[in-house]
Amino acid sequence: MSIRRWIAAAAAAGLVVMIAPVIAHHASAPFYDSTKRVDVEGAVTRFVFRNPHAFLYLDVTGANGQTTEWQVELGAPVGLRRTGWTPDTLPVGMVVKVSGQPSRAEGSQGICCVRMTRADDSPIIDGGRVQEEQPTR
Amino acid sequence: MEPNLKTTGFIKGAAICVVMLALVMGYSIKQPSAQSADNAIPDLAGTWDGGFRARPVNGPRVPWGDENFPVLNERAVAYQQAWEEIVAPKYDCQPASSPAIQYDPYHMEVTQWPDRVLFRYEKDDQLRTVWLDGREPSSVDFGIQGFSVGHYENSELVVTTTHFVFDVAGFDDYNGIPSSSQKLVTERYWRDGEDLRVTLTVADPMFLREPTSYTTRWVPARAGYKLAPYDCDPEAARASVRFFPSKYK
Repeated sequence: MSIRRWIAAAAAAGLVVMIAPVIAHHASAPFYDSTKRVDVEGAVTRFVFRNPHAFLYLDVTGANGQTTEWQVELGAPVGLRRTGWTPDTLPVGMVVKVSGQPSRAEGSQGICCVRMTRADDSPIIDGGRVQEEQPTR
Repeated sequence: MEPNLKTTGFIKGAAICVVMLALVMGYSIKQPSAQSADNAIPDLAGTWDGGFRARPVNGPRVPWGDENFPVLNERAVAYQQAWEEIVAPKYDCQPASSPAIQYDPYHMEVTQWPDRVLFRYEKDDQLRTVWLDGREPSSVDFGIQGFSVGHYENSELVVTTTHFVFDVAGFDDYNGIPSSSQKLVTERYWRDGEDLRVTLTVADPMFLREPTSYTTRWVPARAGYKLAPYDCDPEAARASVRFFPSKYK
């Protein structure tokens, strides 16, 4: 592979997997456990693109074949819009992969501060970045 | 005796100079104080970024760290002990109040008019008006953002805000510290190069044993940045509350 191709490959990889610096604060700590990690893959059933935080609802099928709903907390639309997100970014039926901190309440199925991609691991926004979201409150 | 023409001319010239000097001095004294060095009006206008580019985001120890964490009285401690995160009215879209709103990691826009300064915060669409015309608050001026008056002093905008309503998270929601109608907030805004800075002092004898302060900054917003409507949605604001493991049943 030529140097030019290596550079192009590295740049492309940077677009796909760029982990943003973890922001040192604890706004989400009362609701989510930052010491744990959960990974889910599911189909969008609803995308609430409203301030103060956008929420994504997924149908996730577990190993036992049962489908349950997961609620994914995202950043503020007032900021997401500036990076190209719209209410139509995550249409119903779209499959996404989500990795993040699980919710604290017993039996609840919430995820925060997520790294999210399409099913094929590509960024949600074409040409965008894949990074951990750290919603502020 | 013939008058000495040279002496007469000198006296006339001196008199004219004295008159001109007096006029100049008198004119200078009558100029608006805002033009003097002490009271020059700083240029605070513009759109400012209070997010990650400017400072650490707010949290339990930001901006209240070891040096300036408020000394609470027993009443405040009792509130704090009963506090849970989900009590915060922000989960019903109630906007933050001073001294927290200034530290929210969002943009704000400052507009300076002769009789007022307008602070528009992108978070929760809040608008604070700082009156410079000497008006005083009335009994109907109580509110979440209180009533603000200000003046320019030493190239700073000095803002004094009173008439706050009680707010269970009115000092700081991360630490569960309330504020009362006795809350008094003083802000001093100035320019530091490209940055906008403020030193904020808050007193509230109902909950704090003594006033406490922080200083922070905003950086200029990126070119072309326009504040967007926030339109806080109660469903979205409250959506994560069910994930909180409450100590109350």
